[in-house]
Amino acid sequence: MIIINDFNLRKQADELGIKVWQTPGFLFIVMGFVSVVIMTATYFISAYYDNPQVLVISECLVVVVVLIVGTSISRFVGQMANLNRMKSEFVAVASHQLRTPLSAIRWETELLLTKLKKGMNKKQVEKMKNISQLSLKMTRLVNDLLDVARIDQDKLILRKQDFDLAKLTQDMLDESVVAYESRHITVSSNIEKDLPEVCGDVEKIKLVLDNLIGNAFKYTTSGGRIHVGLARRNKDMIFEVDDNGVGIPEEQVGRVFEKFFRSDNASKYQTEGTGLGLYISKNVVEQLGGRIWFQSIENVGSKFSFSLPIAKK
Amino acid sequence: MTKKILLIEDEEALQQTMAEYLTDEKFEVLGAMDGQIGLTLAQTKSPDLILLDIVLPKMDGFAVLEEIKKDEKTKNIPVILLTNLESMENIQRAFEKGAVAYLIKADFKLEDVVKKIKEILKM
Repeated sequence: MIIINDFNLRKQADELGIKVWQTPGFLFIVMGFVSVVIMTATYFISAYYDNPQVLVISECLVVVVVLIVGTSISRFVGQMANLNRMKSEFVAVASHQLRTPLSAIRWETELLLTKLKKGMNKKQVEKMKNISQLSLKMTRLVNDLLDVARIDQDKLILRKQDFDLAKLTQDMLDESVVAYESRHITVSSNIEKDLPEVCGDVEKIKLVLDNLIGNAFKYTTSGGRIHVGLARRNKDMIFEVDDNGVGIPEEQVGRVFEKFFRSDNASKYQTEGTGLGLYISKNVVEQLGGRIWFQSIENVGSKFSFSLPIAKK
Repeated sequence: MTKKILLIEDEEALQQTMAEYLTDEKFEVLGAMDGQIGLTLAQTKSPDLILLDIVLPKMDGFAVLEEIKKDEKTKNIPVILLTNLESMENIQRAFEKGAVAYLIKADFKLEDVVKKIKEILKM
């Protein structure tokens, strides 16, 4: 049983943070096959030449090959494991050390703005709100970078549960209404009634909605329009957000979900942005069993959609 | 009756802020800056709920949680892990050891933490 467990290649790959074909178990199996092939060849060569010296030389050759390949494998695996451990440690340290002071700033400002607001004048409240929003933005940036690091290591954290996507979408639209009105952007929505729950990670899907709706808002000029829709299609729920914003240049549509990608016109129009939102959104949706896609024409607008599986009752 | 919350958190600013917020929400708050003191308070003061950080001096959050769940007197006290350490291993470990929730400080507002406490204490 222990031997079988030791040769659980998937487990080895997960523990070392490498692919199955890179695991020591798999490479040693390959090396075993290579040794058998060489030994068979040796047998036939020695039988053909009928000379013990050829047999000794051939066997020495097998030992040398096994030693060289074995040492290379163990060195390679050691390096990979070390690199992956360093990456994981960086993510763990970064997540703790960067987020702790940020949490303190957010909680302090929240306390001031909710429980200790009395005596503060309008200007002071406004400044505190700015600090609160900026610390939230900084937290979001740190979280995005950590998510990218986790995606690269195939260790994105997803906590699946059933939740009401219709309510989440409506809540997010309601929260942003002041911002839309201040930019004179018309927002309409068509959320079907009595939709079933979906299965996914509610916090990460909130992030996906925020990215997609936020992008529509960012890249739509004043006086534009945004339409949000949510409907059931067979075993999936389909979300879509449609805008008449700046769109994506035709030659760049293939790169939209790439890490750090920002289209040329987007960078000109809106300097703020890391190019991580859509990359993270794609990975989150796909790892939850859904799909994400878009249609876009430069200077006409974009429509981003994603699907999520409906929760099994 | 006022509910008693034990807050085990080594970051002074976070502990003070959370304590002030909870006090304003009519909770009685006990504070501990390290795992050992936290465990002693859990065993002697019978809190209704424990908010527990993971990275703590003297005894980490997992060790404290394990001791709390081993002790007959404290094993039924709900424990929420409140941390900035986010990994699937830690989340699984926390629930295996008996935590009722695992919250990331950076992602939760004080208001949300209090909502969760009230939900667990059925208030």
